[in-house]
Amino acid sequence: MVDEHTYKPNPAKVVKIIDETPDIKTFVLKFGKPADRKHFSFMPGQFGLFSLMGIGEAPFSMCSTPKDPEIKISVRNVGNVTNSMLTMKKGDLLGVRGPYGNGFPVDEIKGKDVIIVAGGIGFPPLASTVEYILQKRKDYGRIWVIYGVEHVNDIVYRSSASRWKRAKNLEMITTVEEKCKGWEGCVGLVTDPLKKLKINPANTVGLSCGPSVMLKFVSQAFQKLGIDDLDIHLSFERMMQCGIGKCGHCNIGDKYVCRDGPIFSLREIKRMQEEVW
Amino acid sequence: MVKQANYTMEKKDLQKFLGALASKMDVYAPVKTKGRYNFSRLKRGQEIELAGYSNTEFPPREILMPEGETLVRYARKTICEVFDERKKVLFGVRPCDVHGIIVLDKVMMGHGDMEMHYVERRKSTLIIALNCTEAGENCFCESMETDTLTGGFDILLTDAGERYHVEVGTPEGAKLVKGAGRIFTETLEKPVKPKPGCEKKLDMNGLPDMMKRAAKSKIWEDVAKRCLSCACCTFSCPTCFCFSLKHEPDMTDLSKGEIKREMDYCMLLRFSRVAGNMVFRQHRAERVKQFFYHKLVYGMENEGKSHCVGCGRCITECMAHIDITEEAAKVRKSYGR
Repeated sequence: MVDEHTYKPNPAKVVKIIDETPDIKTFVLKFGKPADRKHFSFMPGQFGLFSLMGIGEAPFSMCSTPKDPEIKISVRNVGNVTNSMLTMKKGDLLGVRGPYGNGFPVDEIKGKDVIIVAGGIGFPPLASTVEYILQKRKDYGRIWVIYGVEHVNDIVYRSSASRWKRAKNLEMITTVEEKCKGWEGCVGLVTDPLKKLKINPANTVGLSCGPSVMLKFVSQAFQKLGIDDLDIHLSFERMMQCGIGKCGHCNIGDKYVCRDGPIFSLREIKRMQEEVW
Repeated sequence: MVKQANYTMEKKDLQKFLGALASKMDVYAPVKTKGRYNFSRLKRGQEIELAGYSNTEFPPREILMPEGETLVRYARKTICEVFDERKKVLFGVRPCDVHGIIVLDKVMMGHGDMEMHYVERRKSTLIIALNCTEAGENCFCESMETDTLTGGFDILLTDAGERYHVEVGTPEGAKLVKGAGRIFTETLEKPVKPKPGCEKKLDMNGLPDMMKRAAKSKIWEDVAKRCLSCACCTFSCPTCFCFSLKHEPDMTDLSKGEIKREMDYCMLLRFSRVAGNMVFRQHRAERVKQFFYHKLVYGMENEGKSHCVGCGRCITECMAHIDITEEAAKVRKSYGR
């Protein structure tokens, strides 16, 4: 009899659904057993594998914080599994296994100023990070949150963001690529406001998650601001099946994104033997 | 480890030995069909013919990670993982393939996480290895130092004319020998070290560092021009372990179903495709490079052991005649110091 499990998910119930945008929903999930939630104790930036039996499984980073009793994921309609997930109703069950990966170094960066740059649906792990920092606000210095989307309709976490905007020493900048009527915020790429920040590079860390090409330019902007390669942490997306570094899909060079990442410092990235962007 | 005794077995007794084993457990042995050997489960009384056996067409990986194996079974209210704990014996595994299994063990059982399905199957599998007397056309195990074994087997047979010299590697192997009674005779003779005499060579000395310098080399694009991206190299490689999880609902009752393992191959375009149709290794050259680097560089860094074991199957199976030893020699020529 084998006690240990590799792929068996634990069931969690959808207790609340938040419509974020026309194609993004945030699901609030509650495990059937409290022990399962305890087992799924995670840090911001880690991910879980969420499955619909008979349809498939996909990785999502949690946008809730480790302290929250429920876990939250935001799902955008981009493929077969997410398409089905978006049809879920309150009370439906979702399989959950994990958590996997390393997470952002939120405890190692205490005492520092933090720049957080999120692109599109790369926001969830960073939203978790922002909430985590706000729960321990005095442990960190100044915080910048730069969030970029293609269109104003793609903006998620509107209510959280309005709360963050009122937080002390936190500057939240939302930028849209497509100019449109009624939008009074920034227009352009996330790197535009990033380049203009006045920071103390020796005491600042940069965290980012978003599309590959965005990460490339964000990392360049971080470097231009004078931030050290070791203080730049980027979260990568790859195909993932097993979550434990066995199935090979997320391999970049000799690293496995699910096991060694998904967050890598720019120094690690520069040492990889494969083009990462 | 306690030094195990050595034995000899008359070749004519092999069939008797395997027959007795097959009555107790599943025995997988090289069986010739349509001119090619492959591991196949022996039926009661089935005889095997080893004359002309160089190696199997496909590696023993297919026994340890079978295509389509069920990993999870679910119904409306239950969900459980399925493990294969049946006792089995792999007979006639060549030394290179034993090294391949050692690599798989390191990958699937190492790095702090166990792939329990592999672990259970491996734990219940005994390996009877068979030393080579003659190298196959594309073998280069001598270069990879995988032509000999110091471990990884339960029993190791070496051809000694009319007899096999038998070395025991584990207590489980010793039990097999003891259980076979008079078939095995204890001996003080030492086995002759196998000398397969490979014609192909792959000089590994300093090669990983040269490969690192060759990361942006034109060599990979040149290979990609010939490569058909058919994945035969990865399909036939004893250390290629990549797989996908496939949900398979029961079409007669959708509340039930299984999650299965499907082997997957980095030479295929779809391998690195994520939702939203982003493909991370879009160009064939990147996929070619991934194969060569995983075999010759990354394995050394992650598992401390080359993932290429010199079996030569990728050369044999390649329809475009791409030869890893030739490409490695090109890297050495251009990037060696």
